[in-house]
Amino acid sequence: MAETFNFRLITPTGVLFDGAVEQVTAAGPLGEFGVLPMHTNFITSIAPGVITLKLGEGNFNEFLLAGGLAEVKDGAMTALAVEAEAPGAVNSAAAAEQAMAAEQRMATMSMFDPEYEEAAHSLALARARAQIEQLRRAPH
Amino acid sequence: MATLKAIRRRIASVKSTQQTTRAMKLVAASRLRRAQEALFNARPYHEALTRVSDSLLASAPEALGAPEGAALAQWLVLVTSDRGLCGGYNANLIRLAEETMAKAQSEGLTPKLFVIGRKGAEHFKRAKMPLDGERINNLPRLATVGLARDVAARMLHEFRTGAVCEAGVIYSSFRSALSQRPIFEKLLPIKPPESAAGAADYLIEPSAAELIPAVLRSYVEAAIFHALLEGEASEHGARMTAMDSATNNAVDMIARLTLEMNRARQAQITKELMDIVGGAEALRG
Repeated sequence: MAETFNFRLITPTGVLFDGAVEQVTAAGPLGEFGVLPMHTNFITSIAPGVITLKLGEGNFNEFLLAGGLAEVKDGAMTALAVEAEAPGAVNSAAAAEQAMAAEQRMATMSMFDPEYEEAAHSLALARARAQIEQLRRAPH
Repeated sequence: MATLKAIRRRIASVKSTQQTTRAMKLVAASRLRRAQEALFNARPYHEALTRVSDSLLASAPEALGAPEGAALAQWLVLVTSDRGLCGGYNANLIRLAEETMAKAQSEGLTPKLFVIGRKGAEHFKRAKMPLDGERINNLPRLATVGLARDVAARMLHEFRTGAVCEAGVIYSSFRSALSQRPIFEKLLPIKPPESAAGAADYLIEPSAAELIPAVLRSYVEAAIFHALLEGEASEHGARMTAMDSATNNAVDMIARLTLEMNRARQAQITKELMDIVGGAEALRG
């Protein structure tokens, strides 16, 4: 059996996952990154998107994060997200619609609009929602 | 002395009030339990976030201050409830808000107030004080991540654009169902943590300075969410206590009125007997 490390996914409403995993893959500010056992102490941010946990024996677990922070300390990883959803809860048709709506909103906005950041955030989130459906159809 | 009928009517009315207050107390108790659970669930997030942000903020303290030339103003978020009947809960919060604003003014800062909750918003509207914004009707739940995110975004926007140089939140800190205390917590600018230890132990990607906006955002969101959670628990605790003493008062009042009613009834019986005896005496005459 492959080596594992402890991973926790924490949101303000509770701990969504706490257990041993073989690998964690998430979207960072510089692109996708993976964490394996014995990773060095590490802090980065997580972009809105899917975080994939490799549980061993070919099992995977995915969560949709609305962005957050990731920390690896002493071999254990913690992901902090303000909001997270299990992929089962995602409706892809609604997600595609949300993505369209968010894109249209973005198109009419300037970079200096106070709501620009918020709109960019919801666009990234909606895209991630639409994307998770494809992930589920084409397993790893 | 009030007539027998009036006293009976009075007792019936107190009884129905008592039923209402007792039901409200039970509802508040179950909501309080839920709010306390939410408060408990939020703790791991708060702890982990504090650890991460402390190590990050310590490594780039220069990115934390207000932008240069920021207006001398203070942005305050006041967390009150939408519903009343919770004792002095809202009055205490509003008093602290007014004191905090007066203090800011004496320090040369213009206070700007953002109110959450109908009770607070209505108070300041009556006082004809312009609000910088309000969020009322946060029902059925006050402490939602969505509300915290919206308010945090507003606060960070005000701070980053230099519209204010300070920001804070006033909420009621929940100690127990019997004790809630309004407190003022300054959120921005963040004080750099005292112990800079740990910052160097991390590989930070892309860089601390670039991560700070994300951390700041998470930090403010978490702090406001925490304030909402504490406020929600305090509100239900205060209402539970208020409704409990209202129920007890009703019990006392019913006991007093029942005694009065019995006296009135006895007085009436005695009077009727006297009349009969008097009539009989007169006939015998």
